[in-house]
Amino acid sequence: MADAPVRVVIVDDHSIFRSGLRADLDASIDVVGEAADAASAIEVIQATRPDVVLLDVHLPSGRGAASAPDAAGGEAVIRGASPVVPATRFLALSVSDAAEDVVRVIRAGARGYITKGSSGAEVSRAVHAVAEGDAVFSPRLAGFVLDAFGAAVGETAATSDELDRLSAREQEVMRLIARGYAYKEVAAELFISTKTVESHVSAVLRKLQLSSRYELTAWASERRLL
Amino acid sequence: MSGVSAGLARHLGWPLWVVRALFIALTPLWGAGALLYAWLWVFVPWEDPRAATEAAGADAADAVEAARVRDVPTRRVPVAWILTGAAIVVVLMTVTAIALFGANGVVWTSTPGWVGGVFLATALAVSAGMWATLVDRDDPARGPRHENIVRIVVTVVLVVLLLAQLSMLRQTGVAGFVFALVPIVGLLLVYSSILVGRWRELTGERVRRIREEQRAEMAAHLHDSVLQTLALIQNRAGASTEVARLARAQERELRAWLYDGDAPADSDLPTDLRDYAAALELDYPVRIDVVSAGLPAERASGEVAAASREAMLNAARHAGGDVSVYIEGNANAVDVYVRDRGPGFDLADVPDDRLGIRQSILGRMRRAGGSATVRRGASGGTEVHLRFVDAGGPASPSTEVRRG
Repeated sequence: MADAPVRVVIVDDHSIFRSGLRADLDASIDVVGEAADAASAIEVIQATRPDVVLLDVHLPSGRGAASAPDAAGGEAVIRGASPVVPATRFLALSVSDAAEDVVRVIRAGARGYITKGSSGAEVSRAVHAVAEGDAVFSPRLAGFVLDAFGAAVGETAATSDELDRLSAREQEVMRLIARGYAYKEVAAELFISTKTVESHVSAVLRKLQLSSRYELTAWASERRLL
Repeated sequence: MSGVSAGLARHLGWPLWVVRALFIALTPLWGAGALLYAWLWVFVPWEDPRAATEAAGADAADAVEAARVRDVPTRRVPVAWILTGAAIVVVLMTVTAIALFGANGVVWTSTPGWVGGVFLATALAVSAGMWATLVDRDDPARGPRHENIVRIVVTVVLVVLLLAQLSMLRQTGVAGFVFALVPIVGLLLVYSSILVGRWRELTGERVRRIREEQRAEMAAHLHDSVLQTLALIQNRAGASTEVARLARAQERELRAWLYDGDAPADSDLPTDLRDYAAALELDYPVRIDVVSAGLPAERASGEVAAASREAMLNAARHAGGDVSVYIEGNANAVDVYVRDRGPGFDLADVPDDRLGIRQSILGRMRRAGGSATVRRGASGGTEVHLRFVDAGGPASPSTEVRRG
């Protein structure tokens, strides 16, 4: 995997941020395209077929000069582009925004979420993880997941196919991530392999995308920060 | 006398005695001075709120000032009731007159007395109703209930007047019909004053909404430009540099202003620790990420909060770099994890005279009936785990002592 560079498209409406990010990403990542709004992002993604799209949660839709940013911009890109390029994975970038937006982007199909304050090395690591099919969770997102799935009040899934609650192991993994542990550290802590940690995280991501738990949206609109 | 002269003098920038002399000089001219005085006394106060909302320059400010000077005496006199009383008296007199003259079959032209009575009674009643609506409404001692009562009384007075006139319609003829319109117009005026109040409320509402929209627009703009730039600065400057710390502190501040503006200043544990983290980031080269799940019942003033703060301070002072704080709580238990990626230390190596860990964290939690563990992280660094179980139950052993 490490031999061929990961092809990335950066979608963000701030050119200063795009160029900053482009300079920060390490050599194993090849930025093949950039876009500033949802409409042009979909075109660029279809034209370049990248491995990973780094996607700002807040994006102008590109139709007309809307003064207020379209909150659903990032979501629109995923919904618009992913049927055409099913192999492309999306990683949401955000200035640790309102939870509802992040959750919406994840539920639209993003494979993870990182804050814009992350260093170039962190973003690069996350890009590689997403390119390999893993999910990327920030501590905040893990905290949100624990909260939204009722883990904090002791709700635990009895069967593994239950979508509305987390299994005991998933809760442990999420708790460690919320405490700031990297996947490798989580694996060492729980005496499991990193791959197992990754599969737990992917399972949680799937639940986050598919669950109909009302707290997911209720919580997000109640507290506006993630 | 009731501050009119003083207010007017201040508004016009004239000396007080000039204004007073002017009022006195005008009074012999058919009472013009007294009328003007009364007019000002009545009308300036209820222009006060409008002047305040416009707040256009020094003149408006002066007008507000002038109104305030006069405000207190105006409120004391129950003007609405005086006017209502006068209206009732005049109506009674007029009705009696109508009854007497009507019975005698005298036409209206020969009796200007009751024609004047109709006008005067209507005018008084309308003034009473309007006063109640426009002036007394803002008075906390009176308010809308008083306003309604005055309006009902005034309505009754005008209806009585109207009925009296209608009953005499046969005698008074077309002219009587025309004059019957006077109280009807009066009624309309009284109720139109409600519309004025409603209209004012509507204007106020619109002003508020426009302000809210402007704020939202500004928030969106700041969010887009400033927050992004601050994020970029942190990103480019490296996590623990002075510049990044300043940018992060500014980002927090701006974010709090943008999004938490309306939130009540509750002091639950996560909020408190977040604030403390922000303060620490200013003083130490550290980046503290505070994550919370669940809603801890724990108060910010409690022992857990104090011990958490101490742990965060230790991490900031001795480890620096990235620090993660995770708070999880429900109705009867709270867990706080403070993790750093510093060199780490062994509790046994800490000298006895260092009170930070031993007293402020471990001792404090023990005294409070909770538990605290300090351990080395899986790959370097230190993690402090505080656990506190409420409801009298014994603190269960912390969930993660499976490996020391």
